[in-house]
Amino acid sequence: MKRKLIFVLMAILSFASVIAVSAQAKPVTIVHWYWADNPKYSAEMQKIAADFNATNGKGITVVAQEYPWDGGAYSETLFRAVMGGGGPDTSSFKLTSTPLFAANGLLVNLDEFLAKWKDKDKIEPSLYETIRKASGTKSVYVMPWNTQVLYVYYRPSLFKKAGVSVPKTYTEFLEACKKLTMDTNGDGKIDVYGFGMRGAKGGQEPWGSFIWARGGNFDDLTTPQAIAGMQDFIDLYKNGYAPPTAPMDGFNEIIANFKSGKTAMTIHHIGSSIGMVETFGDDVDAFAFPGGVGRWTSMGDTENVILKSTKNKEAAFEWLAYLATGKGQEAWCVATGNVPVSKEVQQLPFFQNNRFMKVSIEGAPYAGIFPILDTTTEWISTIWPNTVAAALTGKLSAADAMKQLQKGLWGK
Amino acid sequence: MHKKKLSPWPYLLIAPALITIIAVVFFPVINAILMSFQSYDLRRPSQIRFTGLANYFAAAQDPLFWQALLKTIVWVAAGVWFQFVFGFMLALLLNRKFLGRGLIRSISLIPWVTPGVLIGLMWRWIFDGNYGVLNDLLVRLGLIRQNVPFLAQQSTAFPSVILTIIWQGIPFFALMLLAGLQGIPEELYDAADVDGANAFQRFFMITVPSLKNTIFVTTLLRIIWVANSVDVIFNLTEGGPAYSTQTLSVYVFNKGNALNLGYASTMAILLALVLSMVAIPYLKTLFKAQEESK
Repeated sequence: MKRKLIFVLMAILSFASVIAVSAQAKPVTIVHWYWADNPKYSAEMQKIAADFNATNGKGITVVAQEYPWDGGAYSETLFRAVMGGGGPDTSSFKLTSTPLFAANGLLVNLDEFLAKWKDKDKIEPSLYETIRKASGTKSVYVMPWNTQVLYVYYRPSLFKKAGVSVPKTYTEFLEACKKLTMDTNGDGKIDVYGFGMRGAKGGQEPWGSFIWARGGNFDDLTTPQAIAGMQDFIDLYKNGYAPPTAPMDGFNEIIANFKSGKTAMTIHHIGSSIGMVETFGDDVDAFAFPGGVGRWTSMGDTENVILKSTKNKEAAFEWLAYLATGKGQEAWCVATGNVPVSKEVQQLPFFQNNRFMKVSIEGAPYAGIFPILDTTTEWISTIWPNTVAAALTGKLSAADAMKQLQKGLWGK
Repeated sequence: MHKKKLSPWPYLLIAPALITIIAVVFFPVINAILMSFQSYDLRRPSQIRFTGLANYFAAAQDPLFWQALLKTIVWVAAGVWFQFVFGFMLALLLNRKFLGRGLIRSISLIPWVTPGVLIGLMWRWIFDGNYGVLNDLLVRLGLIRQNVPFLAQQSTAFPSVILTIIWQGIPFFALMLLAGLQGIPEELYDAADVDGANAFQRFFMITVPSLKNTIFVTTLLRIIWVANSVDVIFNLTEGGPAYSTQTLSVYVFNKGNALNLGYASTMAILLALVLSMVAIPYLKTLFKAQEESK
């Protein structure tokens, strides 16, 4: 009888382990959405996914699908897809969208996964704190991936031509914008504009530096200091130190204008550095946006999330972990020049010896993000560009524009 | 006397079409009407509730709504009028016999068959203030000295988007009017010749009256389509700069994109009402004219 019982127990155990193994090895497909700034980055993401598929050893296949960032409209596309019952298992993400997605219960709480994750400490604890704060809860809903700190790209040859040295203060920066606006061939027309201003969607990030440089902040956009920062921004355009197309210039336009030599300075992050070096070689450099009364630059963050609709949370986390601290982290940050979140990857010589990375690190202490409110997405995509365009073209005064921006963001 | 037995077949046969129409037309419309009476904002899902006419009152007090409505009227009036005029001219031209007419007829359809998104992107580059071909041409012709940022200044952005929609819609009018022109009996023109009518009289006494119904229907369709058009404007300017190209349909799209579906639905309903106010008298006039001509 005893023998029989042992035999039955062993049979059950063997059967259970066979089931467990086969369940574990069961192929799983994870659909991942992401955006990329250029075709090279698209190819890199596809390669990372292919490498992960080949090496994870758990039967996980990631299908990476690209969607345009479109000045932030990516988040809305993702939201609509998920709310409509579709969308991916995992996706690249921005912190600003957390309230919207969390309020609708669309994100997987990562606390349990992080508690068991052996690489958790490879990421700076302060980053988890920022992420928790953004969600308005004590939980982590997004997985850190990379950060980008905005700084000023400039052309040393044009600086030399205009007799300008790298600005150390905000006032010097404004002066440089003026001096770098030049008619280089003497035909009476401006060929080079000092500042490549971004007036379309996404332009709020460089604009924020002007507001803070005059002593303003985002909590109250109607203070005299904030209005003075806005006035500086308007004056750059009104005085002709930025291209006349600035009110409608977005990412593609500011980069094209800088690369074609139409502008001497423009503000973007390290993600553009590889393309800049490909175009100019050594004739491109960067400096951190100088401080005035205050100092601020935008910290772009990119995370990844697991959508609640996924049926394969474990596999999805495996993939996000690969992007955060695994080979995917190194490959993506090397290819794009973004600042890694993995402390281990940050120490690699590639990042330690990169001049753009140094400027990013220099800007990190005063880099910040816009207030994350449920109004922020609309404020960024519609209210800010239209209000600033009205101010730039003289339809609104700086004070009135700031009043409208304050109302749009804070509701009062 | 036998009572006629009702057969279920007609109902069964019509059912699939009816169900489809209810599902894809009536359900969304009713849903939109219901949403317009709610604070249906997906950014604040916990606050979604019935609010009566609050969205309608908000629209009445929203300066952007009135501005967008005015823009819509100008957009439709200018867009459809010039499409009609140039479309008519093109139809008259294509109705004549000349070498390569078939090829020209096919080529002239290109703007109509090109997707609106592509048209928006294409014209965005044409109008581009830095590298656009329009600026290049105008500079070479000596008409301007410095490039004009067509889409970046409010004074030129709206005319630019209107020009684009005119370009897109001309072939539709041309196609419809050409079909109408080909249906006019040649004998009418022969009789007019015998009576000594000049070209002007032939045009206004024979051509235009014969095309009246076609003109009515085509214009009405274009008014509705142009008023509802989002793709061209959105890809050109997204309604900017400073809302200067934001028509009501673009405003609805922007609000919908911002996930304020209640307010977006309200404005969509109001736009539908405005269009009905144009379409109903228009159709009444058309039907009355048809009755009188019988």
